[in-house]
Amino acid sequence: MNDVMGVIFASDNESKLNELTIHRTTASLPFCGRYRLIDFTLSNFVNSGITQIGIVTRSNYSSLMDHIRMGRDWDLNRKNGGLSIFPPFVLNSSREMYKGKIEAIYSIQGFIRRSPEQYVLLSNSNIAMNLDFDKVYKSHFDSKADVTMLVHRAKTTTSRRLVVEEDAGVVKDLYFSQSPSEEKTLGLNVYLIKKDLLLSLVEHEYARGHVDFEKDILMKQLDALKINAYMVENHAAIVDDVRTYYNESMKVLDPKIREELFYGESVIYTKVKDSVPTIYKEHAAVKNSLIADGCEIDGLVENSILFRGVKVARGAEVRNSIVMEDGKIMENSSVCYAITDKNVTISSGRTISGYESYPVVIVKDKTV
Amino acid sequence: MNSRNKKECVAMLLAGGQGTRLGVLTHDVAKPAVPFGGKYRIIDFPLSNCINSDIDTIGVLTQYQPFELNQYIGNGQPWDLDRLSGGAYVLPPYVKGKEGEWYKGTANAIYQNINFIDRFNPEYVLVLSGDHIYKMDYDKMLRAHKEKSADCTIAVINVSIEEASRFGIMNTDENDRIYEFEEKPKQPKSTNASMGIYVFTWSVLRRYLIDDENDPKSQNDFGKNIIPRMLGDGLKLYAYRFSGYWKDVGTISSLWEANMDLLNPESGLNLNDASWKIYARNSAEPPHFAAGSAEIVKSIVSEGAMVLGSVKRSIVSHGAYIGLGASIEDSVILPGATVKAGAVVRHAIVAEGAVVGEGAKIGEAQKAPIKGEWQIAVVGPGAKIAPSVVVAPAEMVKEGK
Repeated sequence: MNDVMGVIFASDNESKLNELTIHRTTASLPFCGRYRLIDFTLSNFVNSGITQIGIVTRSNYSSLMDHIRMGRDWDLNRKNGGLSIFPPFVLNSSREMYKGKIEAIYSIQGFIRRSPEQYVLLSNSNIAMNLDFDKVYKSHFDSKADVTMLVHRAKTTTSRRLVVEEDAGVVKDLYFSQSPSEEKTLGLNVYLIKKDLLLSLVEHEYARGHVDFEKDILMKQLDALKINAYMVENHAAIVDDVRTYYNESMKVLDPKIREELFYGESVIYTKVKDSVPTIYKEHAAVKNSLIADGCEIDGLVENSILFRGVKVARGAEVRNSIVMEDGKIMENSSVCYAITDKNVTISSGRTISGYESYPVVIVKDKTV
Repeated sequence: MNSRNKKECVAMLLAGGQGTRLGVLTHDVAKPAVPFGGKYRIIDFPLSNCINSDIDTIGVLTQYQPFELNQYIGNGQPWDLDRLSGGAYVLPPYVKGKEGEWYKGTANAIYQNINFIDRFNPEYVLVLSGDHIYKMDYDKMLRAHKEKSADCTIAVINVSIEEASRFGIMNTDENDRIYEFEEKPKQPKSTNASMGIYVFTWSVLRRYLIDDENDPKSQNDFGKNIIPRMLGDGLKLYAYRFSGYWKDVGTISSLWEANMDLLNPESGLNLNDASWKIYARNSAEPPHFAAGSAEIVKSIVSEGAMVLGSVKRSIVSHGAYIGLGASIEDSVILPGATVKAGAVVRHAIVAEGAVVGEGAKIGEAQKAPIKGEWQIAVVGPGAKIAPSVVVAPAEMVKEGK
């Protein structure tokens, strides 16, 4: 995979992730107890030998910078290649943040052109999966396609997804769907394409004021380009609003999905924080839950995900919830169907309750 | 000797110990590489203490079973020791000129690395051992050494008079100056036990190491030769008093006790201390999972572990698996070990990658140690225990049963 470079778009659907992305990019959204969403894409890239990686940010990228630093935890602090992070406004002529992927790619075309690799893997950062990109590369060659796009089988929800009609791996039609339906073949917003082709397509559309890669390039060029669909058989989670964030998080409590996500071909790396292991105290009762290091548990935790450094005091109850880093659930409080962001305190005796279809979100640093 | 390479203090960590008293646990690894506390290894403590004390140049002296330790230390990055100048250096014995030899003793190990130390032209050398669990600010000790213009400063800890005859005892005057050193005295005159941590003024130590090497009768040991000779010559040796948690984990019983101390808030061993973190090489595993059938109390569980059974007063290390209906009490499950369904584990250590078969019974519950030693059953690294097999208290299983 020495001939492939990676480009990751750090921001997707931030408006729909509401409170969860006030302070951060989608890429740095905490996921699965100790990860950020971008860890999956970065780890898959690195494990597939893609070590020339550009990350394009749009806004709120300080949390992302803090997470990635020099890329050491992903073995990306390299002399050749490694990470390049592009803050917004990299283009002298741009007066505002990029509106779509076409603009984003246009703004970093110098970086893409200068890199020695001939192929570019474009990826959104809201995907959690475990994938060996060598296979994608091989499929791209075998199919002699112009573009290879990753797809998976999933039900659509109310979030906007790209539906793919394919015939023996060749994409015949593409359209967006935003209504719940039965299982369909859906795009994962990951594309492998030859560098020169990408740059010429982008330049052409950018000059005409078009911004959307899927709508303005793929759909428009459906007849001109041969688009190969690469089916991801293992679990792939797409997070694009609060509800999918909650549902995809909870799916990881399933041992089979955890196996596919963490014990597949890639080792998933993340920023190392050197927390101590978790301590269970005398009154701890933890069932069907994923618990990161550094927690202190003396209460009840059921069907939940605790991030690093969470404290659950005696008599407290956490059910069907996601408690992010350094959350404090005090004595005799109760949390149900909730997502509490980093450093949230639920005071003694308080009750927080949402619904399975509408989990309540408590924003960062709040005390309830 | 480039002055730009100069370091005020270089640490030399003696990590070559064979650790024979740890039996099967050190059969394939050096003692400092033995896992501890769910995600650490013993050597993480002196390495983390060094970096937290602003000592960034450390020679790690290895010779016995060095591969795992070498790999673990790597470039020192987990301890922030991948430096442009200084950092962690693994120093195995090597052939110099015509002859090469093993490290004959603790002093000889430093003697053989005089050239390494000289490269940094240090004022002081800190000598550490790789078999204790403790958190200590070596910088404070170094400051005490400088304030007293000492030639050698030895860290001591107050032990009970009953224990004193198991240690090297430093007898001191009212200014903490050492006038006598007694190795394991039958009639101890004081309770200042040496912790095996020394600060030497390098120019002085360098001279004594060369003299010691030229003495064919010497055992080339700090406690037996160097310290007594310095005392005999009237050098200024001072005791540096340390109070806090410190434990020699040289035996199975003490290693088990130190792990259990992590569960006891009164033990004084608290690793959850943001100002004094203990660093370890990370194993890149997802959070641990407690299944619907799990019951975990008064225990420590680390990343990547999967618990379906019952765990009480125990340590479950990263990547370990506790099967349905298995019951673990007062035990230490090391990284990647598997305890299958229905197995019963009591007062035991199940080593890395070991597999305890269905319904096997490891060890027995105990109320108190016998003559100071807990009767801990040990399943060795990678050992396979067949279903329903019984492993007796204090028994050590190397490969399987």
